[in-house]
Amino acid sequence: MLDTLLSPVVLFFALGAFAALLRSPMSVPQSFAKGLAIYLMMAIGLKGGVEMSQTAFSGQVFAVFGVAIVLSFGLPLIAYAALRKSSGLSRTDAAATAGHYGSISIVTFVAAIEALRLAGLPSSGYLIAIAAIMETPAIVTALWLALRGQKTDADAPALDRGELGREILLNASIVVLIGGLVIGFIAGKDGFVRLEPFFVAPFQGILCLFMLDMGLNAGRGLRRGWRALGLAPIAFGLYMPLIGASIAAALSLAIRLPAGDMALLMVLSGSASYIAVPAAMRLALPQSDPSVYLTLSLGVTFPFNIAFGIPLYIATAVWLSGAFG
Amino acid sequence: MIPDLHDKLRLELIIESPALRRAEDILSEANVHGWTVLPAISGFDGRRRWSRGTDISTATDMVVLICVGDENILLPLLSKLHTLLKRHIGVLDIMKVQVLRDAEF
Repeated sequence: MLDTLLSPVVLFFALGAFAALLRSPMSVPQSFAKGLAIYLMMAIGLKGGVEMSQTAFSGQVFAVFGVAIVLSFGLPLIAYAALRKSSGLSRTDAAATAGHYGSISIVTFVAAIEALRLAGLPSSGYLIAIAAIMETPAIVTALWLALRGQKTDADAPALDRGELGREILLNASIVVLIGGLVIGFIAGKDGFVRLEPFFVAPFQGILCLFMLDMGLNAGRGLRRGWRALGLAPIAFGLYMPLIGASIAAALSLAIRLPAGDMALLMVLSGSASYIAVPAAMRLALPQSDPSVYLTLSLGVTFPFNIAFGIPLYIATAVWLSGAFG
Repeated sequence: MIPDLHDKLRLELIIESPALRRAEDILSEANVHGWTVLPAISGFDGRRRWSRGTDISTATDMVVLICVGDENILLPLLSKLHTLLKRHIGVLDIMKVQVLRDAEF
């Protein structure tokens, strides 16, 4: 665990977070940060596609897809129940927040892939497709939780399903991830060789740069939003990842996933979205309070997972695979 | 020589980025001739400071929509924009301005 905590990726994240908490004026230009995010998603999409082109699909792969969809649909139900019982959040805010915890954080996933690589633990390329698939079902559950049994507000603008559908299915992270995956699959190992100088060697350094920006965002979000949250929602942001990861571990054991893949599924289930779901919630549930769900997912759960969650999930997956695998 | 100036209304809407398209739809349905959208960098909403995010969804960004036009076109839009702002984060102001080229508006 100490190796992961002291890795440059985590240390740069911590640097950004501390700088923001100490009100440093440092910032990463917006367009540059967005370019970094696209680069990282393209890189892991491509690498996953190349690995998939070398792997035969088995029944287990389809089982993982099934488990991922169940997790993404189901986790918001648990998150919603926990929030409503403990936090005093309104139904809409609890549902919107719950949606974030059924969906995934792609940056946490990228950091976990790097941590697995450092630990020498192999993982399957198709998990990247799983990450993309888990972005969306949670949004459907969150909307159902928020809107069930409610009368339509005559004053509210009609929900444009096309607009929402585009945001859910064609948001930037899904397009770049799935696009990279397909291109990597088509290009195969030989085609990827020419791209390696751009997508392999600089990856670690660019990830550090991106984590610095993520640290700044997380620290700033926490500094501005923690007072409005209260203790119960902050506690939720710390225990909900453990609940999601535990359920993912149990399901991974049931389908006999190897340790590396189990760890990644735990990371996906234990992470909270900050790209796809906030955008969908602003369109479909604009009355929900973004300072609640963004502060929780970006300011509480994301740092927790980067610093403690990822090493914990990896250690747990290795232990479970050894004990029951 | 000072050229002729023409009275118009200028509508300035600061709104969260995900709702921009909805605001633009309202303008375009009313056959407004044109508008401009600018990024908003940071601000204070009475409770907390906000600033432009760096994530690629732009879900937390705010934008400024500026539209200059005839009073008889812009004033009827206000109720629809008011309804939009009941649900989305944003503020709207309107002011009297003068423009040089009447035909452009």
